[in-house]
Amino acid sequence: MMFLSLLVFSPLLGIVLLMFVRKTDERMIQWLGTAATVPPLILALFAFIQSGRGFRLERLDEARDWVRLTDLPFLTDAAYVIRYELGIDGLSLVFIVLTAVLATLAALASMLVKTEKKGYFLWLLALEIGMLGVFSAANFVWFFLFLEVTLVAMFLLVGKWGGFERERAAYSYLLYNGLGSALLLVVIAVLLARTGTANFALLHEMLHNPAAEGQLIAPLTEEGRRWLLGGLLLAFAVKLPAVPFHRWIIRVHVEAPPPVVMLHAGVLLKIAAYGMIRFGVGLFPDEFRSFAGVLALFGVINVLYGALLALRQRELKRVLAYSSVSHMGVVLIGLGALNEAGIQGAVLQSVAHGLISALSFLLVGVLAHRMGTTDINRLGGLTKAMPLFSGYLLTAALALLGLPGLAGFVGEFTSFLGLFQTKPALAAVGALGLIFAAVYSLKAVLDITFGRPRDRREAVVSSREPQASAASLGEPQGGVVDLQGKEAVPAFILVALIVAVGVYPQLLAAPLTAVVKTMMNGLGG
Amino acid sequence: MMNLAWVVPLFPLGSFILLLLFGRRWKQRSAYVGIAAAFLSLLLALAVLVDRLGGSTYEANWTWMTIGGVTLTVGISATALNAWMLVVVALVSWLVHVYSQGYMAGDERFSTFYAYLGLFTFAMLGLVLSPNLLQAYIFWELVGLGSFLLIGFYFYKEEAKAAAKKAFIMTRIGDVGFFIGMMLLFWQTHSFDYDDIFRAVGDGTLSPGMTTLAVILIFIGAIGKSGQFPLHTWLPDAMEGPTPVSALIHAATMVAAGVYLVAALFPLYEASHAAMMTVATIGGVTAIFAATIGLVQTDIKRVLAYSTISQLGYMMLALGAGSYVAAIFHLTTHAFFKALLFLAAGSVIHAVRTQNIEEMGGLWRRLPWTAPLFLIGALSISGVPLFAGFFSKDEILTAAWTNGPRLLFWLAVAAALLTSFYMFRLFFLVFAGKARHHEDAHDAPASMVAPMLVLGVLSIASGYMQTPWFGSFLGEWLTDGAYRHEAAPGWIAVLATIVSFAGIFLAWLMYGAQKMPRDWLSARVPYVDELLRRHYYIDDIYRLTVVSLVSWISRLLTYVDRFLVEGLARLAAGIVGAAASAGSRGQNGQAQTYGAVTVAGLAILVVIFALTGGYWL
Repeated sequence: MMFLSLLVFSPLLGIVLLMFVRKTDERMIQWLGTAATVPPLILALFAFIQSGRGFRLERLDEARDWVRLTDLPFLTDAAYVIRYELGIDGLSLVFIVLTAVLATLAALASMLVKTEKKGYFLWLLALEIGMLGVFSAANFVWFFLFLEVTLVAMFLLVGKWGGFERERAAYSYLLYNGLGSALLLVVIAVLLARTGTANFALLHEMLHNPAAEGQLIAPLTEEGRRWLLGGLLLAFAVKLPAVPFHRWIIRVHVEAPPPVVMLHAGVLLKIAAYGMIRFGVGLFPDEFRSFAGVLALFGVINVLYGALLALRQRELKRVLAYSSVSHMGVVLIGLGALNEAGIQGAVLQSVAHGLISALSFLLVGVLAHRMGTTDINRLGGLTKAMPLFSGYLLTAALALLGLPGLAGFVGEFTSFLGLFQTKPALAAVGALGLIFAAVYSLKAVLDITFGRPRDRREAVVSSREPQASAASLGEPQGGVVDLQGKEAVPAFILVALIVAVGVYPQLLAAPLTAVVKTMMNGLGG
Repeated sequence: MMNLAWVVPLFPLGSFILLLLFGRRWKQRSAYVGIAAAFLSLLLALAVLVDRLGGSTYEANWTWMTIGGVTLTVGISATALNAWMLVVVALVSWLVHVYSQGYMAGDERFSTFYAYLGLFTFAMLGLVLSPNLLQAYIFWELVGLGSFLLIGFYFYKEEAKAAAKKAFIMTRIGDVGFFIGMMLLFWQTHSFDYDDIFRAVGDGTLSPGMTTLAVILIFIGAIGKSGQFPLHTWLPDAMEGPTPVSALIHAATMVAAGVYLVAALFPLYEASHAAMMTVATIGGVTAIFAATIGLVQTDIKRVLAYSTISQLGYMMLALGAGSYVAAIFHLTTHAFFKALLFLAAGSVIHAVRTQNIEEMGGLWRRLPWTAPLFLIGALSISGVPLFAGFFSKDEILTAAWTNGPRLLFWLAVAAALLTSFYMFRLFFLVFAGKARHHEDAHDAPASMVAPMLVLGVLSIASGYMQTPWFGSFLGEWLTDGAYRHEAAPGWIAVLATIVSFAGIFLAWLMYGAQKMPRDWLSARVPYVDELLRRHYYIDDIYRLTVVSLVSWISRLLTYVDRFLVEGLARLAAGIVGAAASAGSRGQNGQAQTYGAVTVAGLAILVVIFALTGGYWL
């Protein structure tokens, strides 16, 4: 079976074909770049549907020899084999589908990117490979390799195609994530050195089965494990990000091109959540308990800190950036709860926020394109000229503030449900974030869409029609064009997904149930 | 038909989706879609009610999400209360759908209006069918969404924008209470289902302390939604929405959801004396508090809004005094007469294009349909005998007298006096006296009058479901026969009647016959008048305390973020940079340095190896 390899590396085909397209042929590049994201989408959806019908995902496991360090004289035969291993379960599958969907939509949204399209799409596709690989990897080394691919691709996408302060943002991204990765590498190296394997399943076996402990190259003390887990959690906390490691994400949100932020906020931040669950809870369940309280506390801090800062921002992208900080806090809350509801909540919140932030930044891209600004102070009354766009933006805001019936609620509800079991008082404090979320989302979006037009361009329109009254509403006005077909398609798909998850969360919960149960078993023992 | 109850909310949902997709093409014809959907809902709701009258509760559940071993469900539950609410909501909603066709005619966003009405009706119907707290919470927030969208319907008005935002946020504050309370109950009982929770109260799984805490938290949600003190300030501002919306959402249905919620959880509330006292006290205080503000308002809709707050206070008082039936009875009659008053007010506004009652007058002749209908509504809410409001208010006063603290009873009586006074102040100012420059004012079209006629009939007839004379049908049915009419002291009804006529008489003296100066109050105690005009400065207090506190914290955190957090990050970057430059300075091409570093490094490694045996930790 080569299914997973095919899934992960299928964007390569697009990369190769893109090489042969002339730089100036932008239509072709756009078309090809988008088409290249379709094969992984089809494969991911296929796997999702099949697993829903009872197909066992373990059958997709792949393994191949890659590096064998057995020839060294001081090593035993079995030790230090690093294989190329891919394998997924329900948890990875959910994230893979999210990645594949958002990648296609981001590629569609990239039609607003005008400069050096060829290079842009090459790196976008590389980014997709990295993301798919991260979630498909079955061993630590490959996980890390794929993670670094995303790091490089993202660095270039921000640094080259970003906004005014793009280089600063790119270096900021590199610095924080590089440090996180370095820490992660240390943890991986230690684990490899002690156990001789990087495979998740084997690691799990060796760390938990007392009988297998003898096979360890060197024993791991209780304290040593705690240090490893601490390092792991710290590394992912930087990438999530947890306050106070969040400064980079603000810059990236503001400076990166909106379609890239769709993937950044939509998927890349979730790698940290995925990592914490897969490695933190998965490999060190016992040690995880001692960190649960801290995680929950940081979660609540994230929620409130992000929300309170979002209140004061007058640049839409910054509002959304701080709201990402706040929403990632909910993921930490779920993990800190360390029960079935909490872990499932953390995953649901990751997916929900992925969809919602993708929708938000899709719209941000359109807004910036139409009005030349995303500064809230310079916008107002857009509903008049762009009713459809405003409707979508309002939907995004409602999803952000966790309105029931939309995906955001499901994530928040489930995570909080978890924490209310273990730490009700802390959870109650965190729930105040729900109020602030309503305040910042509505404040920002209503200031843009409701009220009187404030932007220069719109002011010109209204001065031509001094009696701009209720009677003249609804007509698209000169200069400002509402959401158009090609832009409306991804927006519509995202809203449909957000509603689907919100109305029937079992859709996502079903593949997770088994995984969560296995992890809870690990915790119990 | 009860097993089809789940379809009832789907008609308006369908209307919402259809109008969102095709409304711009259908324009004014959109109204027919909305009206038809609401009508179908009403028919089915009536069928469910008829079924329930002769049968027992039907419940059905479907999986919503599984978490580990727990399955969360959504479903329908056709209890007596739910079946009753279903009809009340569907009926008022249908009437408002019909009325809006005339009222909103010509509006550019006509189809959007109907779409939103559909969304709201869907959510409200879903709420009153809920068999569990989670579903109730979901629809609870969705009705809030409908309310928000419709308050902000005139989005280009800054006032409407502010009002919509305020309504959402104020009710959300309450909702967080609901959220926390719901979560606490879940982990005590491992279920969101009402029945499971009631069972847990019964068998003692749920400790009294936890019960009290949870239900008071949930009550905070009801306070927010039902505009009770101190979270009431959004409701008067919500009058920025179109008037039919005020009638449907902010008078008849959504604001009564708080009352409904407490009623639906009544066994839980009854288990906690402290919670019941809280409910009664908040209700009683709100009743009198809002009534006093209603005395001095000059905007016709705001008078009605404060009156709504006050009447909802009555219902809460009834619940707190243990009379579930009285609360639902008043909820029902209030839904009819208050919707009537709002629709009539809408008709007045439609005719004179102002909401300021000081600019109105002498409209009795000009609005031959609206005026008598408004009078019926006013008589009903004032508790004049033979009108619906009389019976339901009497029931509440009786409950307050028999079970509640005395003080609350007298507050309720005082509020009744104020109610009939401000209602007839409104009536005389608008309809009596000299006509003022409204020569072109003419009555509403038939499509607007017809729904008002229906409500006019109901504002009288609905009182006879539950009277001291003809039996208490409603009470017996709602409680499955357990209800018994309290042996009420006869003087309460007499007192209520006297009080109601006294208020009307006083209003007539001041505003009808003008035998008493209108500035009687403001001339004698100007500061009281000012206090009432400023709504007890509640908004200002909030602005100066909560709002400024949050924005102060937010500003503080902005500086923390900008300087402290960023500073630390720079420090870290600086250290890395310094290490890098130190390292590159070491790379100076001199073999001796390299050798020295190598030896030193090796030495350190050997020492470490010797100390730890190769593995640290």
